Amino acid sequence: MDKIAVEGLSVEYEDRNGAFLALEDVTFQVREGEFLSIVGPSGCGKSTLLGVLQGLRQPTSGRALLNGQPITTAGADRAAVFQHYSLFPWMTARGNITFAVSQAKRGSSRRERERIANRFLQEVGLKGFGNKYPFQLSGGMQQRVAIARALAMDADVLLMDEPFGAIDVKNRAAMQELLLSLWEGEPGSGRKTVVFVTHDIDEAIFLSDRILMIAGRPGRVVKEVTTPYPRPRVHEEIVGGSAYFQLRSQLVSLFLDDVRDRIGGEEVVL
Amino acid sequence: MKRLLTIPNGLFVVLALVQLLPGRNTRVPDSPAHAIALACVLEAVLLVVTYRFKGVKRRAAFNVCSDVIGFLFGFLIFWTLAAAKLPSAAGSKGAVFPPPGAVIRALVSDVPATLKNIVDSLGLIFQGYLLALAVAIPLGLLLGWHARAGAAASYISKFLSSISPIVYIPYAIVLLPTFRAASVFVIFVASFWPALAGTMSGVLNVERRILDSARSLGARQTTMLFRIVLPASLPQIFIGCNQGLSVSFVLLTSAEMIGARSGMGYNVNNFANFGNYTRVLAGVLVIGIVVTAITFCFNRLQGFLLRWRQ
Ligand SMILES: Nc1ncnc2c1ncn2[C@@H]1O[C@H](COP(=O)(O)OP(=O)(O)O)[C@@H](O)[C@H]1O
Ligand SMILES: [Mg+2]
Repeated sequence: MDKIAVEGLSVEYEDRNGAFLALEDVTFQVREGEFLSIVGPSGCGKSTLLGVLQGLRQPTSGRALLNGQPITTAGADRAAVFQHYSLFPWMTARGNITFAVSQAKRGSSRRERERIANRFLQEVGLKGFGNKYPFQLSGGMQQRVAIARALAMDADVLLMDEPFGAIDVKNRAAMQELLLSLWEGEPGSGRKTVVFVTHDIDEAIFLSDRILMIAGRPGRVVKEVTTPYPRPRVHEEIVGGSAYFQLRSQLVSLFLDDVRDRIGGEEVVL
Repeated sequence: MKRLLTIPNGLFVVLALVQLLPGRNTRVPDSPAHAIALACVLEAVLLVVTYRFKGVKRRAAFNVCSDVIGFLFGFLIFWTLAAAKLPSAAGSKGAVFPPPGAVIRALVSDVPATLKNIVDSLGLIFQGYLLALAVAIPLGLLLGWHARAGAAASYISKFLSSISPIVYIPYAIVLLPTFRAASVFVIFVASFWPALAGTMSGVLNVERRILDSARSLGARQTTMLFRIVLPASLPQIFIGCNQGLSVSFVLLTSAEMIGARSGMGYNVNNFANFGNYTRVLAGVLVIGIVVTAITFCFNRLQGFLLRWRQ
């Protein structure tokens, strides 16, 4: 069965200027244990789509299903990582994780939560930073805590909205490998289902099993491609090959078409 | 040795010498010895700080101490000259401008009474103030959280907070069982509105991404309120509570006019009625010192509870 199914989804925003259609008739599925990326230029509705999957936003028409059930509320069965570090600034790195675990696993003991938090801090390489507050950590470290928090919740579904968007190029590659190693580390069938939003095509190719391209206003699915690379993956083996080049130029041309369509009258936000 | 050639130390010497000039205030007997003694105490503090506070962090503390003490010396010199040594001190004006020596002598001789006044006033203030916080903060959380009520409530509280609590005094006396309850009520009202307004604006301004982040963890209502909304609004709550504390002290004198027989505000008011301005100034100084000390403690508490901010 599909872990996530989105069927004919449209989302409309109401603001001062009236109604604004952000997504129109979006349909796709995500298999259990699959890593799906959603790419598209900014403003095409990627965050809106993820908001629906989180249960923070209701569709105007169509529906989004999780395990066959319509998503109506937010819940700890889906762990999220946002671009803007969504850590709670008044909790330490460890406190952020234990709090999330206490929400995801009600009835867990304090000792157990601490143990889980320490384990995941170690896994993201922040063993000695548990007592630091977010403002004492760099952007990349904060995002690693956010990833540790999401993994510690042990939800089946991981929803990530441009989690590395604000991290510099060099560290971004390291973060991508870290994410994959944590996710691939689990045995094939036990892997979490990931929906990963990005506007970086290389990032999408490197990370995912399948890529969904959304473009236009309102945003629609314009392309779907499957990546041919085996796992575990490392950058050196993937980037630069001829298959990689083909895949990339295919996606980039779609990306550019969409942007070109909009240059001319409408504003362009890249 | 070079470390001693500073402006505060220079002012200390000037202050001591100024005390030795002949006095001209004929209405209030001066006591230069008391003024010199105070100057020496302050200077001793300055010296200890000069030689003990080293390192980058304590350097900042030293600078503050040194500046404050230097300012006090300068102020005491001006006060001594104006109230005791220059022609301005002669004549009837001398009665309402007692020199610092006289005020310090009064302070020293009144220590037990002063302590009792401090205890009584703080009892009154904390009763009213803590009661106000205990009602205003939870109420502000609830009103702010239910955004529609919050919008209405913020206008209503603006309106009500613009009314001086002194206006309520007659009503409080008529409606409340004791004079003391009426006094507490004045402090309560004075601190209630700022605390409520601060809490509500804190709650209304919690960032959306924080709320979304908490919702996506599946947090329930009470968790949401007490573990997310409350700490997120704490900085603004503190702003409101700070304002409330200041207003409470401003209104202390009014509150103690109602029925009190002791307290710092009552004390000042009482001596003002008798025209004893030496003791009025002594009382004002005591209030100032107490307010400063409490503000200091309050800031420490705030710094601790908000240690998660840059
Ligand atoms: N709360 C909102 N109210 C009105 N319009 C919105 C709101 N949030 C997003 N939008 C609009 O919807 C479109 C899609 O936004 P978003 O999902 O954030 O795009 P992306 O994440 O792909 O950059 C944008 O044009 C944006 O301006
Ligand atoms: Mg976005």
